[in-house]
Amino acid sequence: MNGREETVRTSLIGRRHLMMGVTGGVLAAGTARAQSPSRGGTLTVGLSNDANTYDPIFSVQYTERYVLYLAFDTLVKYGPDFSILPELATSWETSADGKRIVFTLQQGVKFQDGTPFDAAAVKWNIDQRLDPAVNSPQRQVLAPIIASVEAIDPRHVAFNLVAPSPVLFSLLGERPGFMVSPEAWKKRGPTFGSQPVGTGAFVLKEWTRGSRVVLERNPNYWQPGLPYLDRIVVQDLAGSIIGVQRLITGEIDYVDQLTPSDILPIERRGDILLKPIKVGRWYFLQWHVNEPPFDNPKLRQAFAHAIDRDRLNEITMRGQGTVSNGPTPRGLWWYDPDLKFYPHDPARAKALLAEAGHPNGFEYVLSTPQVTVFQQINQLLQEQLGAVGIKLTLQPVAASEWYARVVSGATNLTPTRWTQRADPDGLLYILFDSEGFANTMKYRNDQVDALLGRARTVYDMAERKKLYAEAQQQIVNDLPMVPLIFGAEYAAMRDAVHGFEWIPDEIPRFRGLWKTAA
Amino acid sequence: MRRPGCWIGVSLVTFVAAVAVAAPALAPQNPYASGVDMLALPSAAHWLGTDDLGRDVLSRVIYGARASLPIGLGGALVATAIGVPIGLIAGTLRGATDVALAALIDLFIALPGLVLALIITVMVGANLRNLILVLGFVMWPPVARLVRGQALALREALFVEAARAMGGKPLWIIWRHIWPGVLPVVAAQFSISVSFAIFTSASLSFLGLGIPPPAADWGGMVRAGYDYLAINPWFSLAPGAAVSLAVMAFYIIGRSFR
Repeated sequence: MNGREETVRTSLIGRRHLMMGVTGGVLAAGTARAQSPSRGGTLTVGLSNDANTYDPIFSVQYTERYVLYLAFDTLVKYGPDFSILPELATSWETSADGKRIVFTLQQGVKFQDGTPFDAAAVKWNIDQRLDPAVNSPQRQVLAPIIASVEAIDPRHVAFNLVAPSPVLFSLLGERPGFMVSPEAWKKRGPTFGSQPVGTGAFVLKEWTRGSRVVLERNPNYWQPGLPYLDRIVVQDLAGSIIGVQRLITGEIDYVDQLTPSDILPIERRGDILLKPIKVGRWYFLQWHVNEPPFDNPKLRQAFAHAIDRDRLNEITMRGQGTVSNGPTPRGLWWYDPDLKFYPHDPARAKALLAEAGHPNGFEYVLSTPQVTVFQQINQLLQEQLGAVGIKLTLQPVAASEWYARVVSGATNLTPTRWTQRADPDGLLYILFDSEGFANTMKYRNDQVDALLGRARTVYDMAERKKLYAEAQQQIVNDLPMVPLIFGAEYAAMRDAVHGFEWIPDEIPRFRGLWKTAA
Repeated sequence: MRRPGCWIGVSLVTFVAAVAVAAPALAPQNPYASGVDMLALPSAAHWLGTDDLGRDVLSRVIYGARASLPIGLGGALVATAIGVPIGLIAGTLRGATDVALAALIDLFIALPGLVLALIITVMVGANLRNLILVLGFVMWPPVARLVRGQALALREALFVEAARAMGGKPLWIIWRHIWPGVLPVVAAQFSISVSFAIFTSASLSFLGLGIPPPAADWGGMVRAGYDYLAINPWFSLAPGAAVSLAVMAFYIIGRSFR
């Protein structure tokens, strides 16, 4: 208990330092436990792995980050409440006009190939991502923010920004912040993705696609005492449910992405620990808001009133998720408890449907990715909307094709889910700004654009919070999507595994874990 | 109908058909109504428990007969409608026509039925009509090969030679002399095709290419329930047993002709 409180306090201090632009020099101590960590052992992780590359500059897939956070370190890291904490950068100072941030780097850090990590390496890393010729997927996010990066001396690097940007810190805690060894990247070329070299606590030794990834302890790791484990093996799974069985037999030590139903067989076992995610994935129903039939606000309101979100949560999440009134769940600092949404009211939905010009009902196709939770949500939506005269036909779409179809516009009405990002801008801007790259709803509201645009250039947290509250209420009123629920999700691990803590981005960090001997 | 086993098959088929027809009367609950008691084990209210959305498994298994029987019968009809004429023509005419048709039959037999059905279903999309056509298309080659073999034998029979000597045209000979001779074999093969079609459609559903939800579909239920075997095994086992029963019923009938 003591340990947890300590962590929270540390991260609050970290955040305050960041917001005031003052040097934040707090080194996050790992969660202290009554039992002291022991060295050695192998952690076997079960994962439905769809990794294509472990080159952070080109990483796109969600699961790639399970390994990236082991082989690489980021410039800053996230606390359990998405606060920003020091990592490779020990502190930072923001200029008075907010357009220049100078990071002080950790001293004596070496890449796994022995080359030094310094300001020049940071500059090279960001320049790679900004270079159109390299064509990193991160370019579209970074280019509008960063004007240039300058290595002042080996220990100090300056980011010159296009405009003040509080968002930068959160970006440097995920993909754009992974520091790649420039020498190794140049030398290995296209094979870098399977033989990555970072400063991380573990070195990738073997990657057999479709089978396993083996990582071994980096003996020269810069953080004293870390890591505790000798090896981490990421074993491929054909699905989380198989992972549960293998966890019971002890073949693997850890599996996640488990639903409340998945954990029923292990809920009461003394030898397995369950760690619920505190801030769940956001599920919503989206459509093309700029073209018929969903350009009709009455029709959208009819959908919103017809959907019983409590029941969705009750059935798909066994009541362990939360109903969503908007994009942000409780527990994140930009959550607004006063956000108003259209209540479940089938009679009102029927009336609105008639007003929308569909007195005899409305028929449409609902895309259904072949993912269990989406299939469940869609069948319930079909039942609930059917009750007010909205007849939906479920159209199965292969999970692998589905998002590409959403992006290309081939799919209109579909459920979607997103994990939370460390900064409100991360999700709200990409989804709801008219320029947002993931705005597949084709939503455009100039007032929302102005609010989101302003909020991403202000360092004052109270003001940002106000701007985001206003923007979210406007978005929810406009209904470019119907917010449904925040999911409940679990990680399960053998009781020999210690030190696990969720970060709200739902990527597990295995670096600081340790095992007691069996 | 030579073997006593046939009557077992016929009574099983009659049973499955009766269940399909009388589903609304037999099903204790609405098979599409969700409930908040998910993945419950069998109880007085739900004899086979509930599925992941709290729906009654027994009711869904009963309604599943309504999807599987039309697919099985329809698929077998399509296979027969394509396979029989091709087999008859190949077997009776012989010569270059036979060589060409036999090559075509062999080509399709060489392709595994399920894989072919998978590829086509992905292209055309899964619904009742498409599934019937796809399964028929996958199953015609064995029918054609069987009929061709029978026709080849029959065309050498004395009465057929006589008909030919009298100046009978090939089509008339096929219709009057060969077709009646192959009819029992076709009937037997039809029954086996039905069982194959039910089995293959369940496999397609298991792979996510069956009739889309929320339809109560046996293969789809086996797949959905597979994730929850440790919680309510009946969710998956009951529709699996239903598939086995229907497949076995038609297969027994088919085998008993031989």
